[in-house]
Amino acid sequence: MNQTELLDQFVLEARDCLEAIGHRLLQVERDPHDADLLNDLFRSVHTLKGNCGLFDFKPLERVVHAGEDLLDRVRSGSLAYGSELADALLEAMDYSARLIDQIEQHGHIEPGAEEVSARHAAALRALLDGRPVAATPPAEPTPAMPPSATAAAGPAAGSPDWLQVLDAALLAAHPGAVAVRYQPEPGCFFKGEDPWRLACTAPGILGLAVRGQQPWPPGEDQAHWDCYQCNLELVLLSSAPQPYLEEHFRCVIEQVVCHVLPEAAQVPDPGGTVSAHLLARASELWADQLALLARRPIAPGTVLSARRTLRNLLAWTAPAADAARALEALPDAAPAEALLAWARALVPAGAPPEPEASASGPAASEFDDPLAAAGPADGLRRAEDPTAGHHKVLKVAQEKVDRLMDLIGEMVVAKNSLPYLAQRAEEVFQQRELAREIKAQYTVINRIAEDMQHAIMQVRMLPVGTVFQRFGRLVRDISKKLGKQVQLVIEGEDTEADKNVIEPLADPLIHIIRNSLDHGICMPDARVRQGKPATGTIRIAARQESDRVIIEISDDGAGVDPERVRDKAVQRGLIPADRAASLTDEEAVQLIFLPGFSTADTISDLSGRGVGMDVVRNAVERINGSVQLSSRKGQGMTVRLSLPLSMAVTNVMVVESAGRRFGVPMDLIVETVRVHGDDVHCFKQARTTVLRGRIVALRALNDLLDLGAEPVRNGDGELAVLVVRHCAESVGLLVDHFLGASDIILKPLEGVLSGLTAFAGTALMGDGGVLMVLNPKELLS
Amino acid sequence: MTIRYLKRHAALEGVVSVDEAETLAQWLLKQKHPAVHLGRCEHLHGAVLQVLLALRPRIAALPDEPLLRGVLAAA
Repeated sequence: MNQTELLDQFVLEARDCLEAIGHRLLQVERDPHDADLLNDLFRSVHTLKGNCGLFDFKPLERVVHAGEDLLDRVRSGSLAYGSELADALLEAMDYSARLIDQIEQHGHIEPGAEEVSARHAAALRALLDGRPVAATPPAEPTPAMPPSATAAAGPAAGSPDWLQVLDAALLAAHPGAVAVRYQPEPGCFFKGEDPWRLACTAPGILGLAVRGQQPWPPGEDQAHWDCYQCNLELVLLSSAPQPYLEEHFRCVIEQVVCHVLPEAAQVPDPGGTVSAHLLARASELWADQLALLARRPIAPGTVLSARRTLRNLLAWTAPAADAARALEALPDAAPAEALLAWARALVPAGAPPEPEASASGPAASEFDDPLAAAGPADGLRRAEDPTAGHHKVLKVAQEKVDRLMDLIGEMVVAKNSLPYLAQRAEEVFQQRELAREIKAQYTVINRIAEDMQHAIMQVRMLPVGTVFQRFGRLVRDISKKLGKQVQLVIEGEDTEADKNVIEPLADPLIHIIRNSLDHGICMPDARVRQGKPATGTIRIAARQESDRVIIEISDDGAGVDPERVRDKAVQRGLIPADRAASLTDEEAVQLIFLPGFSTADTISDLSGRGVGMDVVRNAVERINGSVQLSSRKGQGMTVRLSLPLSMAVTNVMVVESAGRRFGVPMDLIVETVRVHGDDVHCFKQARTTVLRGRIVALRALNDLLDLGAEPVRNGDGELAVLVVRHCAESVGLLVDHFLGASDIILKPLEGVLSGLTAFAGTALMGDGGVLMVLNPKELLS
Repeated sequence: MTIRYLKRHAALEGVVSVDEAETLAQWLLKQKHPAVHLGRCEHLHGAVLQVLLALRPRIAALPDEPLLRGVLAAA
């Protein structure tokens, strides 16, 4: 595989990874403790990081690496997942997607990406340590503990041994400072790096020590020593915040380890009065926690909060060596009794006597440490997903499938020439036997071609879930922006429909959802006042009904207000006032489909920007679908889309007019009829006739298409009228001849021709000619 | 502004660049009583610092720059 092929493959896989990651991030937000989800997420990020490493896309790798470290902590349980983390990760993944786009376009990342990527990486790493430990001593139980466990419990964390290189007095004099260990790689000099200079110029530097990573060579070996292989280890102390230091060392961040010194002194000075005071207070708090835990019944949240407080208090008492460890050994959901037992065993010196005087047996025996279960998930499980083993999946480029479909379409059309040939053989060449054999062979070929047609239609079927997936992110972001609480429920995402039907749906669906979010669902307090749950629900349900796919989008918001809609329609001059008054409520709601309608007084940047429901309806009808809206005021609104299951063969009636052939889709035709010229009534420019007791307007196709000829009458003086359904009425098209019905594969017009809305598309006929298929709706408007 | 190799010691002055590290190392290995004078040294490259830490010559004078001074004094 050459370089460009490799790069294309990388882009494809990276995009897949990012999509999976995005999906998982949303799921994890709903379910932060699901270990499988977290592991899956971590695996995807890890794979992405590995791929980036192959190509030396450093900015991308940096961001992904930071994300991976963050997720590793989350999945091992030492960091709690929260919306802050989610936001940071989503942003970082968005940025990564942009970088991938750059790589796809230019083959490399644009210069200047270093800065931005370092910022994202730093933002992610800043979340690793959570907020700094509270500077003031815990005067009251501190419920708001920083999410990370490392920074909190001072002695429990343990300072790394490389810290000893620095002067102890220096360390003691600067609590809360950041110590950095920088171990440059041996070849760094050849990369033009000067680690000494980099260390000297670090921001806020308080002290710097240098030693060798490996011992320096002794006497005889010095002659062979290569002074250009870097063996330095630099340890510095800085008063600058950690993100600043990480920014400074961003180019070599993998060679750098930071450690934040604990804020307050480890063990309070036993002699001082201030510390005695604090100690007493700490003991009181300890007793308070014990009393709290002894209460019945007790909520799990209270147990957790008491546990946190006890852990914090450990820093202030002089604990037994393994006290902290015993606390950590308790499983997360340890019941109050277990915690109580442990805490009582450690009543600090000078604590007021506890009401219940039980000093229960050594805490250790009570909970025997089933720690194995709580251990981090074992590495990267490469276990196969059991369901995926049953059917193999191929990834195929879309163009290949489209090409196959085109070829099969041509085959379907080409086979149609055989009956024509058979007829010629019989009539022109007097070969009846030959004609019979051709017809026999034609039936065989026909059957095979139709099977191929069905098969390729199946290949093009996609589950609708692929379009619905991206809505999760949309709903989350917009609902946050608007300050509303909304959840998205998706049903029937495995329902399949043709690719060409699903893809144009994305934009209309997005618009409908935005409408619901913006105008439909109210703010949480308003909803609660109405007796609804504070979180609104938008539901997208898809199902198959005979040969259609039905997609329903419903919300439980305020619904459409018929009065407001009526007023607005009248205001905008879309409908006269008296007509508006005569509409029922259901009919009034349908007014929002009128072009030029938008009820939002302030055009938010989401909807109401001229992308009205009429555009949605047009988009849906363009793919032969239909839209219906129903709403109950105060209860919610439902939009129902009905779509064709597949773009199969279309049945058309072929007509001739002014010497040209045209096709008209059969499902729009009411009837074909011949009307005598005398039965046509002319009034000014309009022609009408009476059919089955109703007046039907007549339009000449030649006029509509500007073909410049008059409709031809047949031998009996009759005109050929093709009656089609237009809106809710019938209209008669005057044509010259009817040429019969035919099955064709309709191909929409593309490129510069797509602006010709009068035509639904083209098709190839059996004799090789091109048939223009009309779109009567557009033609007659 | 580099290294002057005198009879008793090597004087590192100004900014000492990476290329000088090798020469300095060779010179120090050949001396019976290797010594360096850093009184006028403003900055040296990491490789040069590495040479000083590995070969441990006698330091006739410490540099003024505080960080470098601290590191060399401790060595």
